[in-house]
Amino acid sequence: MVAGVLIPRFALLSTLRDRETLLSEPVALAPVAGRSPLLGEVSAPAEAFGVAAGMRVGEALARCPELRLVPSDPEAARARWNDMLERLEGVGASPESDRAGEAFFACDGLRGIHGGRLEDVLAATRRALGRSIRLGAAPSRFCAYAAALQTRPRGRSRGDLIVPTDSRARAFLAPLPVALLRSRLELAELPDLLERLGIGTLGRLASMPAHALSERFGHPGLRARELALGRDTPLDPRRPVEPVVERLGLPEAISGQQLERALELLIARLLARPERRGRSLRSLTLSARLAEGGTWRSHVTLRQASAQAARIRVALGARLTELPAPAESLGIEVEAFGPPAREQESLLEDGRPGVGSREGSGAASRDGSRAIARTASREHRLREAIHQARQAAGECAALRVLELDPGSRVPERRAALAPYPTEGRTGSNDGQR
Amino acid sequence: MSLRRLDIPRPASVSTSSSGMPAALGGVRVEAVAEEWVVEDRWWTDQPLRRRYRELVLADGRNAVVFRDGSSGRWYEQRA
Repeated sequence: MVAGVLIPRFALLSTLRDRETLLSEPVALAPVAGRSPLLGEVSAPAEAFGVAAGMRVGEALARCPELRLVPSDPEAARARWNDMLERLEGVGASPESDRAGEAFFACDGLRGIHGGRLEDVLAATRRALGRSIRLGAAPSRFCAYAAALQTRPRGRSRGDLIVPTDSRARAFLAPLPVALLRSRLELAELPDLLERLGIGTLGRLASMPAHALSERFGHPGLRARELALGRDTPLDPRRPVEPVVERLGLPEAISGQQLERALELLIARLLARPERRGRSLRSLTLSARLAEGGTWRSHVTLRQASAQAARIRVALGARLTELPAPAESLGIEVEAFGPPAREQESLLEDGRPGVGSREGSGAASRDGSRAIARTASREHRLREAIHQARQAAGECAALRVLELDPGSRVPERRAALAPYPTEGRTGSNDGQR
Repeated sequence: MSLRRLDIPRPASVSTSSSGMPAALGGVRVEAVAEEWVVEDRWWTDQPLRRRYRELVLADGRNAVVFRDGSSGRWYEQRA
């Protein structure tokens, strides 16, 4: 069984944490400066005016002139959600959470800890997270999400909803609208298409033949059908987080080159942190507190895990240009580490300063001789690398793909593996891929 | 070491429907046949090649290309 925990409008609630009375008014998260002018989450009174998240500001104000816009605070939302996930882990759960305000965990292993019944596990969850959550349990993640949506926070109406078996799950999902599929990012566009074709409920979707859905919608169609049948992929619980954060307060709200300098400093501090233990960095989050209020976050996954400050600076520097306003503080957080960093010299690219031609350094003949020396050095390193690889792993350790008849209609005639030539090689790539 | 061809066909376990269309590949149900084409070659020799390729969409989300050899009637899987 999977339990689903939902806190609707979590980002809005986190932003208004000390002004919750505003929730009784039409209020919405303002668009992030520099990005599309689309609203974030909206309060229930705003929804009553027909305002919805993702709507353009102009249209929202036309529908509700009293709408109040508040700058979003993704930093606060993240911190608060992390705190809730830790509390969930405190009751023994291994939660999976792809977005703030939504978490799922397997409950079967927790029954023994909390009295033996599923209801006891849900009660312990509610005690840990507070009464304002919506809680449901079902055999699959999607069904648990739908069940949690049907509930209301304790004290208002009915409590936790449990869908006990697979067959009950299918019956439970059948009358629900296909719009629920929007909760899955990969299926976000499917409900509109289904509704246009007259498929309004999950039951109707489940009764469609798989091949028809596959032909019309491809793999997303099959995926949606599986969900409608009450089946889902296994949970992927979050891994324990190692918080490695560096933050720098900026005495005067700065931008431009000063900000880049601050970024360099932060990267240097981050690479010096003992928690890194020699590992490279795989993905990072750049965050800032803005001078005009609110916060900003941008997630960056490096194309290749690295511990080279210059490479990380290039990747993060590009994101700095998206900063919507001058910043009061700048921070970097490591989201994931890569393998241990081994600062090897690259095999074929020679990026050492001073090796390439320098502007104004002179004569073409000198440049020419440098280029020849560079090519010879590269050839030597390549030969040596192949020799070492063959010594360690045999003759087949270095091969190349030789194109024989690339346009052939018979696939096995197109290419073959051939020994990598090391003698008399000139660096040409002709005939290989 | 001599040349080693790439993308060699591998024998595949394909079960077919009554109409001869692939119904399952390696025990995984075939959801749809996305494409179908025929390759004929060397018809002028005594070892002609005739294959009917089909690109399959499997129930687990994979796409696979299989063909039935015209002379032996056996099924093969190949990266095409």
